[in-house]
Amino acid sequence: MSILLLGLSHRTAPVSVRERLAIQEARVPAVLQTLRVTGLAEEAVVLSTCNRVEIYAVSSLPAQRAFAELEEFLVRCHDYREPLTDTLYRLAEPDSVVHLFRVACGLDSMVLGETEILGQLKKAYGQALEGGFTGSRLNKVFQRAFNVAKHIRSTTGIQRGNVSVASVAVELAGTIFTRLEDCGVLVIGAGDTGEKVARALVSRGVSRLLVTNRSTERAEALAAALGGRPVRFEQWAREFDRLDIVISSVAAPDYVLDRARLESLLRNRPAAPLLLVDIAVPRNIDPAVNTLPDVYLYNVDDLQGLANRYLARRQEDVARCEAIIREQVGRLYPGRQVSAWAGWHPAASHA
Amino acid sequence: MNWPTDKHAFALAVVVYGAAAVASMRLWRRGFERDDRVGCGLVALGFGLHTLALLARGLSLQRCPVTNIYEVTSFLAWSLALVYLLAGWRRSTRGLGVLAAPILCLVGAAALTPGLDRPAGLAVETHRTLLSLHVTVTLLAYGLFGLAALAGAMFLVRERDLRLGRLRVLLARLPPLQRLENAMRRMMQAGFVLLTMGLVLGGLLPRPAGASLSRDPKVLWAVGLWLLYAALLAGRRCGLSTRRFAWGAAGLFGYTLLTFWATSLASPWHRP
Repeated sequence: MSILLLGLSHRTAPVSVRERLAIQEARVPAVLQTLRVTGLAEEAVVLSTCNRVEIYAVSSLPAQRAFAELEEFLVRCHDYREPLTDTLYRLAEPDSVVHLFRVACGLDSMVLGETEILGQLKKAYGQALEGGFTGSRLNKVFQRAFNVAKHIRSTTGIQRGNVSVASVAVELAGTIFTRLEDCGVLVIGAGDTGEKVARALVSRGVSRLLVTNRSTERAEALAAALGGRPVRFEQWAREFDRLDIVISSVAAPDYVLDRARLESLLRNRPAAPLLLVDIAVPRNIDPAVNTLPDVYLYNVDDLQGLANRYLARRQEDVARCEAIIREQVGRLYPGRQVSAWAGWHPAASHA
Repeated sequence: MNWPTDKHAFALAVVVYGAAAVASMRLWRRGFERDDRVGCGLVALGFGLHTLALLARGLSLQRCPVTNIYEVTSFLAWSLALVYLLAGWRRSTRGLGVLAAPILCLVGAAALTPGLDRPAGLAVETHRTLLSLHVTVTLLAYGLFGLAALAGAMFLVRERDLRLGRLRVLLARLPPLQRLENAMRRMMQAGFVLLTMGLVLGGLLPRPAGASLSRDPKVLWAVGLWLLYAALLAGRRCGLSTRRFAWGAAGLFGYTLLTFWATSLASPWHRP
C-alpha cells in the first residue's frame, strides 16, 4: 500500500478553481468516511485551505486506479464538470511524502516560508486522527513532517522575518524604540495600508493611538476599530510633542509634513527618536526630513524593499531546507535513492 | 619563580578575552543574527580569572593593586569588563560585548608589556587607603566611559544601517536605538560622578614638596577630560542630537585610551 496524494494548489489552479473544489471544514469528516466506506482509502487526511486542496490517502488499489477514483470522487463531491488535466497533481510514495514535508515547511506556500500552513496541516491531521481515519502509515509521516518543519524553523532562516509592508514597519519601530507599549502613535488618513500598520502596532502593545483624517467620521470609525482616539485633522500638530511614530497614508497633492513644519514641531518636543512611515502615493512627507537628527523616515518603497530582501534571504535558504527534507525522507526509506526528488514541485511534475 | 602567579592568571584572562573577541568578530561577520552568548560567557570566564589575579596580587601586597602602570592598566580592563558584564547580564544589551571583548584584549595585552610592572614608591605605602580609593574610583569611571563609548559606537552603526535601509538592522539581535542611547547616557552620567569623586579624592592626597596640582600633566588632562564630559552631558541636556552625543562618547573615550598612558608617564606623581 502506498501513500498517495491527489491535489491542487495555487501553483496549478487559479482561485476560481480552488474555491470550487475546496472542502469545507465541517464536511471533512463525511468526506473521510466516504473514502473509507467506498474502499478507496484505508487511511486519509484532507487538507483544504485557500491555497490548496489535497487528499493524502493510503490505498490498497493500484496507484493509477486509485488516482482515477480519487479524482472522480473529488469532482463528484463538488459537481465540477470542467477538465482538470493540468490542475491536479498525483503523487505516489515517496514523492507524496516529500511534498507533504515541503508543505509543512512552507516551501510550497504562496508566501515562501509562511507558518500558517503548518497550523492548518496540524488541524487537518488532528481532524482525521480524531475520527480514526489515520493509521500507522499516515501517523508516521505526518508526525515526521511536523518534526521536520520544527527542525527547519530552528536551523534555517526560511521562516524568519516579515514579508509584508505592515510587519516590516513594526519591526523597524522595534529597532528604534525600547518599548512599543510606551510609544505614542498618530495615524494620518484612514487608508487600508495605514490601518494595517496601525493594527500591527496595536497587536504589539501600542495603546496611545491617535487617528486623524479629513473626514472626521472615518477617523472616528477607525479610531473606534483600533481602540484609539480621533483627532481633528486641523489639530493633530498639537499632539506632536507626545508622538513617537507617525503613519501617514492620506490622499493629498502636497506634503502634509515638510521639513520646515517638522523642524518647528520638533522644537517643542524632547530629543527622542521619531519614526515616520509614509505609505501614501503621492508621498505625504517631504523626504528632506530624513536628514533631521533623530528622525527616521520610511516610504512604501523602502518598506517593500526590506520585505523583498527578507524574501530573497528566504529563497537563499530553500536549498538547505530541500537538503534537510531529502535527508529526512531518506531516513523513512532506507536504501532508496532520494537525491532525484530534490526540487520537485507540482507545477513542474505531474504523475 | 613561583608558578602560577597572579600575572599568569591575568595573562590567561587576556587569552580568554582574546577568544571572546574572536567569537564576537565571527558574530559580527554573520550580522549579529544570534545572541552573543559565547562571547558573553567567555568575557565572564576571563573576568573570573582577572578578578582572581587582582585578588591574589592585592592579598600578597596588602593593598589595592593600582600603583604601577601594569596594575592600573589591568584594573582599567577589569573595570570595563565589570561594567560590561553588569550591562550584558540583560540579554537586550549583551551585544555590546562584540565591541567590549576586543578592547579588553587590547588593553590587557598592553598591560602585559614587559617593564611596566615595577614596585611602588614610598608615597604609595604611606597613603594607601586614600590613594587606592582615588585610583579605583577613577578607573571605574573610565570603565563606565568605555562602555558608554561602545554603546555610542553601536548606536552609530545601527543608525547608519537604519538610514540606509539595510536588512541587517532587522536581522541583528542588538539593542534598539533608544536603549543604546539610554545606556550611553546613564553610563556616562555614572562615570562622570565617579570621575568627579576620583578627582576630589586625588586633591585630598598629600602633595610632595614643591609639587603643584596645576602643573601636573595628568591632573590637567583629567580635569580637561572632566570638563569635556561635563560639556557633552550638558549639550545632550540642551538638545544635542543622539548621533552627535554618540560621536562624542566614542571620540572622548578613544582620546582617553590614546592619551592615558602618555600623560601618566609625563606626570611625576602618576609615573611608577
